[in-house]
Amino acid sequence: MSAADTAVTPNASLAEFDRTTSRWGQLTMGVALILSLAAPLYLVFFTDLGITAGMIWTAYLAVAAAFFVLWFVEPITYYPVLGPAAMYQAFMIGNIANKLLPSALVAQAAIGAKAGTKRGEFAALMAICGAAMVHVISMLLFVGILGTWLVSIIPTDIVDVARLYIFPAIIGAVLVQLVVTMKQPRVTVIAVVVAALVLFVLVPAVPALAKPATGVVVLITAVLAWFLRSRKTSATATTLVN
Amino acid sequence: METALTPEGLSTDILAIANMPVLWVLALGVFAAIIVQSLVYMKAARKAGPAADISEAELKTSFRAGAIAAIGPSLAVVLVSIALLTLFGTPAVLVRIGLVGSAATESASASLAAGTMGATLGGADYTQAVFVVAFMAMSMSGAGWMLATLILTPILRRGDTKLRRVNPALMAIVPAAALIGAFASLGIAELGKTPIHILSVIVSAVTMAVCIFLAGRTRATWLREWGLGISIIVGLFAAYLAHTSGMAPVA
Repeated sequence: MSAADTAVTPNASLAEFDRTTSRWGQLTMGVALILSLAAPLYLVFFTDLGITAGMIWTAYLAVAAAFFVLWFVEPITYYPVLGPAAMYQAFMIGNIANKLLPSALVAQAAIGAKAGTKRGEFAALMAICGAAMVHVISMLLFVGILGTWLVSIIPTDIVDVARLYIFPAIIGAVLVQLVVTMKQPRVTVIAVVVAALVLFVLVPAVPALAKPATGVVVLITAVLAWFLRSRKTSATATTLVN
Repeated sequence: METALTPEGLSTDILAIANMPVLWVLALGVFAAIIVQSLVYMKAARKAGPAADISEAELKTSFRAGAIAAIGPSLAVVLVSIALLTLFGTPAVLVRIGLVGSAATESASASLAAGTMGATLGGADYTQAVFVVAFMAMSMSGAGWMLATLILTPILRRGDTKLRRVNPALMAIVPAAALIGAFASLGIAELGKTPIHILSVIVSAVTMAVCIFLAGRTRATWLREWGLGISIIVGLFAAYLAHTSGMAPVA
């Protein structure tokens, strides 16, 4: 390859790489999106359970009220770290902060590539591919096959207890984990006080608010957290954001 | 509204519908999409490697390093997923907990959705119909993340300056408030249920606190990723002891 060639080709081949990854990234993510919605839709339409559209929309609104902020915030937050190609991987594979980002960092360190460079971007992309393969195989093998078999042999009384108390057993740990990793004591206090007031004072007084209660808590917490934020830290925030 | 449910809809045999073959096929389709994506990406990376100043050997090293680093976290997700199998069935757990979402967001969504049907996750009123509505709602919520990614990535890539110039204090506080607000609300709601629910929340929370403390004090950083799995098992064990020792209300 002549020197003149290498001056032009890198840009052309990087542009082709961007085109390929974004086209296939969008396509595969679109397919995953449709398939993941098709499963519950199949149950709604092809089982005779008497589920109405009203039930689904009511449930969806309650969930959306709690999470819609995060739908937008998470992609914006991770974009600078992941880059466009890996975005389509990350939001399909999940567990970004605790699995994909560490994998990417380890790979960059292994070949001495700096984040923010093309070398770094490629190393991260390959690392996420590696992480994806390990994850897909372990999920299919250990959950799909082994887990399904395990559940079939565990005594039903244990399964019943597990089913009944699994959610409280998850939520306690998740809450502690969130509070510790976020390091936002002020927001935490506001959230707990608002949640207690809404759930144990407001909802009993206004039963109509029972269904959207979590959404109400999220909204009030966000507004209060913003207006009651520490002005001192927000002044120095520019140096703390990263 | 709830009178629309048919007698079949009131059955509590969740796994009878949650493990239907069609759902397995759709779940495997999502896995296939991820595998195809990775293969296409790796081929593209190998082709453009020289232009990015990265050799084929380095690409391989990166792949292997990423794969090895993912083993621990993946197995931690496996443990949590198995615990959730009885609630959602294998196909839903594979797609929702294993891939797109996480144990935290998906079980939270399911709990919220069940609440709108007047039911508790896993309780005596957790019928097939409640499961299907919860599964639908969490899939729609998961679609929110994917749609946002599909819409925002091209925008961020074209000229991300405007979106990134959003007030940094706003980007630091509002997401944190939304997350902590949602989970604090769900956690405190559990405290309004039976004594065993309260016990499970507290035992699980304390176990997680111990895991995080030990991970910070010792070099056992693996406790960070295994913390959730361990807390769930310990929390469920406490619930089982309390349940069998007669603390449970007679159903």
